[in-house]
Amino acid sequence: MSPMNPSSSSPPVVQSLREYARGIAGGLMFSLPLLYTMEVWWTGFVVGPARLLLYGGFTFVLLLGYNHYAGMHEDSCWSEVLIDSVEELGLGLLVSAGLLFLLGRVSLEASLDDTIGKIVVEAMTVAIGISVGTGQLGVKTEDAGAGKRRSLREEIRFGGQLVIAGCGAMLFAANIAPTQEVVVIATNSSIAQLLGLMLLSLLITALILYYIEFAGSDRFVRRGDLTAVVVGTFASYAVSLATAAAVLWLFGRFENAALITAVAETIDLGLATTLGASAGRLLVQ
Amino acid sequence: MKKPRKNWLEWVIFAVSLLLVLGMAGVLVWESFSLGKKEADPEMELGPSAAHGDYFAVPATVVNRGDGTAASVQLEVLLKLPGRETEKGEFQLQYLPRHATRHAWVTFRHDPREGKLEPRVLGYQKP
Repeated sequence: MSPMNPSSSSPPVVQSLREYARGIAGGLMFSLPLLYTMEVWWTGFVVGPARLLLYGGFTFVLLLGYNHYAGMHEDSCWSEVLIDSVEELGLGLLVSAGLLFLLGRVSLEASLDDTIGKIVVEAMTVAIGISVGTGQLGVKTEDAGAGKRRSLREEIRFGGQLVIAGCGAMLFAANIAPTQEVVVIATNSSIAQLLGLMLLSLLITALILYYIEFAGSDRFVRRGDLTAVVVGTFASYAVSLATAAAVLWLFGRFENAALITAVAETIDLGLATTLGASAGRLLVQ
Repeated sequence: MKKPRKNWLEWVIFAVSLLLVLGMAGVLVWESFSLGKKEADPEMELGPSAAHGDYFAVPATVVNRGDGTAASVQLEVLLKLPGRETEKGEFQLQYLPRHATRHAWVTFRHDPREGKLEPRVLGYQKP
C-alpha cells in the first residue's frame, strides 16, 4: 500500500499514514455489515480450521490479483504486490480483531478456536475492502502518476478484468453467503424463477458493462462489438457464479444439500455477485 | 526485480502484518492437524444452588469435549423431591463449538438441596 511516488526516494511517513487510514476506512465500509451478522461470527467454528485456511489462501490470491491489476502502484513489481497483499491481510486481521473486541464478540474467556475463527472470517472481507479502499478512495491529483496510471488501465486485459471482477463479486458475496436466507430462498425457488434470475443477472451484467455508461467503463470494454458484448457478459457471469459457489462452499452452505439446492443457492447468490463483478470492475479506475 | 521503496513506517506495518498472517496460518494449520474426528460431545455439570427471591438458581456448565460443533443443544435438569412432584428446569444453547464451555442457570421453585438434581443433555444437531 505504499503511495505513488514517481521519485526514487521513499515516500514521507505522513503520506503513508494517510494511505493506511484511507485503506482502513475502505475496509470498514465494505465489511461493516459482516461484522454485525451473527451467522458470520458462527462460521468460524462451524466450517473448521482447514476451510478457513483455504478461505485465507483464496483471499490472498484475489488480493495479489487485485493489487497487480488495479492497486496503487503505477509501476508495481511483484515484490511490491506481495508486500501490499501481506499488509492488507495483516491490517484486515488487526481491524477485525479490534472491532470484534469492541463489539464484545471476542473475549479472553472464549476458546482459541472460536476466537481465531471469528477474526479470520471477518478479516478476509476487511482485507479486500482495505485493498479496494487504498486503490480507489484516494484523490488522484498527481499528474505524472495519473497519466501513467491511465495508460496502464487501458492495458488491463481480459484476464486482469476477470480477476478484478472476482474481487468485486467476492465483496458482495461475502455479505450474503453466510446468511440463512440464501438457503431459505434456494429451497423455495422454482426452476422458472431460477431461469428468470439467470436472465436478469446476464441482463444486468450486459447493461452495467456495455450500456449505462458508468464512469470509466470505456476503458474496460469496447462498445458496439456484439461478439465482445456476448463474450464479456458471459465471462463476467461465469466469474460471478464461480465466486458465488466458492464462497457458499467456504461458508458451509453446501453441507448436506442436494445438488439442485446447491445449484439454486449459487444462482440466487449469483445475482449479488453479478452486481459485484460488473460494477466492481468499473469502480476500479 | 526492483527494490521496493518504503519508509520505516511501511516496513514496520509490513513486519507486523507478516507476523500476523504467518501466525494465523500457523494456528490454523496446527488446528487442522490436531483436530480429531470425534463427534460433538456436550456434557453438563451443576454447581451449588443459590436462593434468588422466590426461586433457586443452579449454575450449569456445559462443555463440548468432542471435535465437532453442536447446534441447538437442548438441556434439562430434573429436581427429584422425595414425596413430591418432580420439578423440571431447561434451557437451550444455539451453538456449542468444539472444546467450548458455556455457562447457564436453571431455576426451581423448590430448594434443590431438599432433593436430587439430575442433569441431562436432551439432544443437539450438527450445524
